[in-house]
Amino acid sequence: MDLSSVFFIGNIMNLERIPNEEKLSLCRRYYLGGFAFLPFLWLVNVLWFFREAFLKPTYTEQLQIKSYVKKSALGLIVWVAVLTTWITIFQHFRAQWGEVGDYLSFTIPLGTA
Amino acid sequence: MCVSSAAGVCSSSVEQKIYVELNETVPCVRLLNATHQIGCQSSMSGDTGVLHVLETQSDLDWILSSGPHPPYMVIMETAFFNRSVMMRMKNSSRVSGVAVIVSKTGLAQNFSPHTTCPNQNTGVYGSELANCNVTVWNPLGNGLSYEDFSFPVFALKDENQTQVIRKCYEDHNQRVNGSAPHYPLCAMQLFSHMHAVTDTVTCMRRTDLQNRFSINPEVLCDPLSDFNVWTSTRPLNSSAKGHAANESVVIAAARLDGRSFFWEQAPAAEGTVSGIITLLAAIQALYPVTQEAPPPRNIFFTFFQGEAFDYIGSSKMVYDMEKNDFVIDLKNVHSILEIGQVGLHSGRSLWMHSDPVSRKNDSVNEAVSEMMNRMESAAAGLSVSVGHPSFSQPLPPSSLQRFLRAGPIPGLVLADHQKSFSNRYYESMYDDAENLNVTYPPGLTPDEQLVYETDAAKSLAEVATLVARSLYLQAGGENNSLSNITADPKTVAQLLYGFLVQKNNSWFRSLLLSAGPGPPQFYIGLGPRIHGPVHSVTRFVQYILANLTGTVTNLTESQCQNPSELSTENKDLFSYFWVSGPASVNSTGEPFCVRASVRLSEAVSPAFELLEYGSRNYSTWTESRWKSIRARIFLVASRELEVMQTKTQQNC
Repeated sequence: MDLSSVFFIGNIMNLERIPNEEKLSLCRRYYLGGFAFLPFLWLVNVLWFFREAFLKPTYTEQLQIKSYVKKSALGLIVWVAVLTTWITIFQHFRAQWGEVGDYLSFTIPLGTA
Repeated sequence: MCVSSAAGVCSSSVEQKIYVELNETVPCVRLLNATHQIGCQSSMSGDTGVLHVLETQSDLDWILSSGPHPPYMVIMETAFFNRSVMMRMKNSSRVSGVAVIVSKTGLAQNFSPHTTCPNQNTGVYGSELANCNVTVWNPLGNGLSYEDFSFPVFALKDENQTQVIRKCYEDHNQRVNGSAPHYPLCAMQLFSHMHAVTDTVTCMRRTDLQNRFSINPEVLCDPLSDFNVWTSTRPLNSSAKGHAANESVVIAAARLDGRSFFWEQAPAAEGTVSGIITLLAAIQALYPVTQEAPPPRNIFFTFFQGEAFDYIGSSKMVYDMEKNDFVIDLKNVHSILEIGQVGLHSGRSLWMHSDPVSRKNDSVNEAVSEMMNRMESAAAGLSVSVGHPSFSQPLPPSSLQRFLRAGPIPGLVLADHQKSFSNRYYESMYDDAENLNVTYPPGLTPDEQLVYETDAAKSLAEVATLVARSLYLQAGGENNSLSNITADPKTVAQLLYGFLVQKNNSWFRSLLLSAGPGPPQFYIGLGPRIHGPVHSVTRFVQYILANLTGTVTNLTESQCQNPSELSTENKDLFSYFWVSGPASVNSTGEPFCVRASVRLSEAVSPAFELLEYGSRNYSTWTESRWKSIRARIFLVASRELEVMQTKTQQNC
């Protein structure tokens, strides 16, 4: 990644100069995009717009941005819970499941059950 | 050291100053069957531990409880390699590996790592007779070979290397006045990471999955397989499978393999070699007489490979016979004589074991009694006598049991033990020439040792004569030709030397190029796909049989490879071998072509053909694959540096 692209990202990440309607539409796009099985979009949404939604002085679009951020955070928590539960179960019980465990695996470790 | 290896620069000169690679080590590997895994496993990046030599009981306590630098890498003296010590090591978390010193000093009176009841689940007997209820065949067995260890166990066979390790231990790790030694300490790292786990079913399934879905498929385990060797007094047409018309065959069988706790170590002197040599010498004694005065029945000689692992070779031959995929089938078989362990009889009698279950049938009982009578009459003029154990005693573990599973066939197993085995080192590394009392007087050259007739050679020759004469009578031959059938003690002596002491001798070299010094090892191995054409022991027996029973022809080398082009030669009845010829001082010997009716038949368990990896009826033994097996010793200056040193790999 060269320096120019770093500056570009920095400009995008910096929400100061962007008008409020564009901020709202960005937040909405990230929120809607997360429903396509992309929880990282929700994570980015929460991290990026947190200050905009809760720490800045009020402006017209802020209420909607706040709701999008809250809903993204909720979706994110649900995803994290589901993934953590599944990963824990799989790591613990894969060896005991025998054939099913092997068919569910992409790479099977050598030499251990 | 870490920086240079990260930059990709060859760091071997620095590594050589740190690590001493141990080249002469023998690992214990993982074997799997339908339900279990046995053997040893190390971590993927090797197991490291501070060295400690186990010589006394206080050393054992130091390792297991009081030593301050666990985990320890135990250098175990021979006397401590027994079940109780190894199980304590297995249950302790303070042991990261064991290196066993293999020597005769301190060796106990008996040591058999095999089970007490070999092959109990794949024989012919059901629950009443199978679990050694009547006779425990191997009472001295401690079952170590069938345990699963989660740390590596290596064997140190080279005395010089053991000295290097001892010196490192004495310089750095020895306790001074009972106080703990200080860093820097001598440590050892053993690598023997096995890829396969759980059992054969799992391992085969994962191999199949890898082959179907992975970009870089890896095989995890291979079935144990090799070849059986067979020949017959009247040549059999090998292209005609199934029932052979007008053939009534007497089968004479012996086993070709052995095993021990460690990988590819199996001198198997009393357990296997005694039977092989007896049968080979009997074949040599019988052959000329059967050509001059042929008996009514054909005699079929066979050597089964893989019998130590649930009867791989014999189950395959019986399976082929049942499927009409072999030159004869079970209806052609008149009777079976198997040569078991016969090396330790020394003046006592031999025993003819028979199967009590099939003898409940009157005709079978009569046939077996006749067979015993013929054997007793054949023993009449010899110095060896035969007896039969009690009627209700079942057969010892033998290939005959697999034939009996297919149907009642009269058969006998000839052995030197009436009840339990006389072999005190059954299926262990110590079942070698000394166990059979094959020792040579000092000062003989190798060529003189090759032909020196020890007492063991003479006694085995007597047994071979007995076997040959009994087979001739069993095949319907006349009594008056019996005196012409005598085994040659010189051949027996040569075979003993070649199979127990040195396979690189002048006789074997004249037959085929042999590999390496020392005696051959009788472990079955993984067969032609992995190890090359034919395993060395199978090859030796094949070429020796061709040498003893074949005829010399004057075919050229290309004709020998393709004899079907000549009208006088018949590829269906005979095999053709290009043999190096005896070497003399001046020349390397002129090769020539030998024609013999010696053939190989595949010895791979039917479970792998039927794809029934969890089979209870057939052998399912597989051997795991691995990337590298090695060992090295080095000094550790502290616990933290120990971690860093163990992670360094060879980059060059």
